Amino acid sequence: MGPRRPAPTVPAAVINRRLFPAFLLALALPVLAWDRARLLEQAAQLPPTVQRVVQDLVGLIERSSAQAPAQRVREVNDFINQRVQWQTDQQIWGQVDYWASPLEMFEKGRGDCEDMAMAKYFALLAEGLPESSLRLVYVRAQYQGRPQAHMVLAWYPTPQGEPWILDNIDPELKRASERPDLVPVFSFNAEGLWQGVGAQGAGNPLTRLSLWRDALARAKAQGF
Amino acid sequence: MSLIRQVSLLIVLALMVGLLGAMGVSVGSLRAVLQDQARIKNADNAQSLALAVSQQGGDAALIELLMSAQFDTGHYQQLRWVQADGKTAFAREAQASGGRAPAWLRQALPIEAEPGIAQLSNGWQSIGRVELRSQLGYAYDALWQGLLRAAAWSALLTLLALALAQAVLGRIRRPLDALVAQADAMAEGQFVTVEPSKVSELRSLTDALNAMVQRIKRMFEAQTEQLGLLRQQAHCDALTGLSLRKHFLAELASALARDDLPERAGLLLLRLQDLAGVNRVLGREATDEVLALLGQALQQYTELGAQGIKITSAGRLNGADFALWLPAPAVLDDSAQALAQTLKLALQQGGGQGGNGVLRLALGGAELTRDQALSQWFAQADEALAQAEGQAAAGQTIGIALRQVPARADAPVLPSGERAWRAQIEAALAQGHTRLLQYPVLDREGHLLHWECPLHLGLAERSGSTPDFVNAQTWLPLALRTQLTAEVDLAAVALALQQVREDGQMRALNLAPASLLGQDFVTRLRELLRRQALAARQIALEFDISAAQPKSFELLRELSRSLHPLGVRIGLEHAGAQLQRIERLYELGLDYVKLDRAILVGVHEDISRAGFVRSLVIFLHSLQLQVLGEGVDDPRDAQALLDCGLNGLTGPWATGHQVK
Repeated sequence: MGPRRPAPTVPAAVINRRLFPAFLLALALPVLAWDRARLLEQAAQLPPTVQRVVQDLVGLIERSSAQAPAQRVREVNDFINQRVQWQTDQQIWGQVDYWASPLEMFEKGRGDCEDMAMAKYFALLAEGLPESSLRLVYVRAQYQGRPQAHMVLAWYPTPQGEPWILDNIDPELKRASERPDLVPVFSFNAEGLWQGVGAQGAGNPLTRLSLWRDALARAKAQGF
Repeated sequence: MSLIRQVSLLIVLALMVGLLGAMGVSVGSLRAVLQDQARIKNADNAQSLALAVSQQGGDAALIELLMSAQFDTGHYQQLRWVQADGKTAFAREAQASGGRAPAWLRQALPIEAEPGIAQLSNGWQSIGRVELRSQLGYAYDALWQGLLRAAAWSALLTLLALALAQAVLGRIRRPLDALVAQADAMAEGQFVTVEPSKVSELRSLTDALNAMVQRIKRMFEAQTEQLGLLRQQAHCDALTGLSLRKHFLAELASALARDDLPERAGLLLLRLQDLAGVNRVLGREATDEVLALLGQALQQYTELGAQGIKITSAGRLNGADFALWLPAPAVLDDSAQALAQTLKLALQQGGGQGGNGVLRLALGGAELTRDQALSQWFAQADEALAQAEGQAAAGQTIGIALRQVPARADAPVLPSGERAWRAQIEAALAQGHTRLLQYPVLDREGHLLHWECPLHLGLAERSGSTPDFVNAQTWLPLALRTQLTAEVDLAAVALALQQVREDGQMRALNLAPASLLGQDFVTRLRELLRRQALAARQIALEFDISAAQPKSFELLRELSRSLHPLGVRIGLEHAGAQLQRIERLYELGLDYVKLDRAILVGVHEDISRAGFVRSLVIFLHSLQLQVLGEGVDDPRDAQALLDCGLNGLTGPWATGHQVK
């Protein structure tokens, strides 16, 4: 949570390190499909506690294939809400606004609302949910008695139906109608963003001009 | 292909590859930038449109209005609203705009920008997505502009680089050309030095060639010096340094026979009276000193070449007798007076040693026409000398007597006045009143080497009257005075070419050194010979040795250089003692040298003269020159000269021979 401000530049070393294999990979795999091996390999460079969280997430994703979509969404929501502690970007990163990739967030063990919403988004995509059924939503939240800018993940079981809300303020998975404290403002997802960009995806500097695409590119480079 | 041309081609190819490559890269990156910009614009515009649409509470009419407004006021090619169920709720599409870029560019370098896609929502409800494509005509225009600009810069830079390369190549080419010219000149027998090149590889080459030329030069100088000594021994009196009697007579005979000297000339005889008496009074050594002083005075006079007389020669005829030959008309009197002054000083010097009153000189001179016999000359001069001796006996220190002998009655009458001469020579040339005589030049086996062809001009006093054919002795002074030698020489060459075409035999023509000084003589001569290339190979052109003097040296070298490629042979004639004074004979690229009669006469009975001729022949042969002898009449001389190594002979002996 926090006001939206222009973002300071983000160190890109993490992504650039394995640029070449990423390039080959992007050619071989469907866009935004997850890469378990790469995710584990990236996590291997992190402290053991963080590695364990990542391994648990990988296990969760792998087990989910047998479950119904609603069950998958619930488990991912719970997993992230339990493993990550909410804090502001200022507290975590010392920056007004920083969109952390899931691994960066796990490494800190902390994340703000959009970090957590994104982690859920990537995890659900990895579990095979269609991209069009997921949207990151800017909402006006009534929290602690005053309105605040906030972000949640919305899951649409049917295209035109009512979505389910994955939130960290209220960690329980609820229908939109059960959350009168939230007023949706604008929604987006990664649909169409990678179209045609193909191999350049993670490497092209122009794709990082927006915070969202930058975060997407980093997450992609780390295996999501 | 020449080296320079190959290097030029290489430079052009390298430039082309480099600049086309650079052009390709710049256009390629421009295309990538344009593509990215178009994609970003698509994405951003889609997002902001979606943001606006998502605030409209799902009012379809309002949403369509928003989309129409965005489409109509912006630069879009396509705008679509796809509802969550996949149906298209709104679609607008514009024609692809024309722009200035040609169609082939769109095909060759397509700009592929992905559409911008953004999600639309109404509250929590998804109402589909918006898809948007920008108009790309502008991008193609920019790409086209960039391509044109890159091409223009490439062309400009190529031209600049080529100009630079040309300048640098020029720097290499000049010394290279000089080097090639030097090598070519060497093949032609011209040994010239060139500026050392600034290019290091070429410098060692030019240095080597220059060093070789220097060596040849030093060898030449050494040989020249050697020759000078030999000549001194063979031709000169040891005491006075003047020509010995035999040599002086030979020189005189040669001068009388030549056709390029003035009609009238003078001979001065000088005698130290009563040599025996002087000897008694002064003693032998002092007498010798006096004689040496006289010799010096005469030598000085010849070296001064007073009054522009071409070749003056002086000799010691015997003990007390000296002679001076003045090949110019109307100079006898002045020369005698001037000489008397010089001699008076010499006598005073001698007198200082006690000979005052004892030393008396007689100076007798005669001016005759050159067609008089040698004996006639001496008879006249001796008479004058006897007269002068009478004056000296009468008490004067120096007695002078001079006489003018009129021309023989049967001598041809010369036209008078320069204008008349000019008209007559021009008429003779215009009407073809020209004749080439033929005298054979034979080699040792009696084979014909070439015909020596003096020109006779038919001069007529009035147009229409029968022309009177005269030899060069007559017409050459006229042509020199009217500056028509070049015209006459060209006419002679034309005539010789014609005769060569008829019988195919080689002909040698004597050209005037004065012609070389003419404006475009060499050009015209070359053109004339070039037009009859086959006959030109049978033409030899010879100049008097005086043409190799510094005044016309360069011109002669130029002529030799420009005519040699046509197969024309170039030679010098009347070459004698002056040969060793030509410092750079080896630069002229000559084919042959004709030795003057003066150094050839009497070789069979005088070992030292023969020795000089032999050394001269060896020297000239070392310069790759053929050596021929002029005016040989004594068969014994002819044999002796052939034994000395001469390649061929001309003169009465050869003319009397059966030509094989």
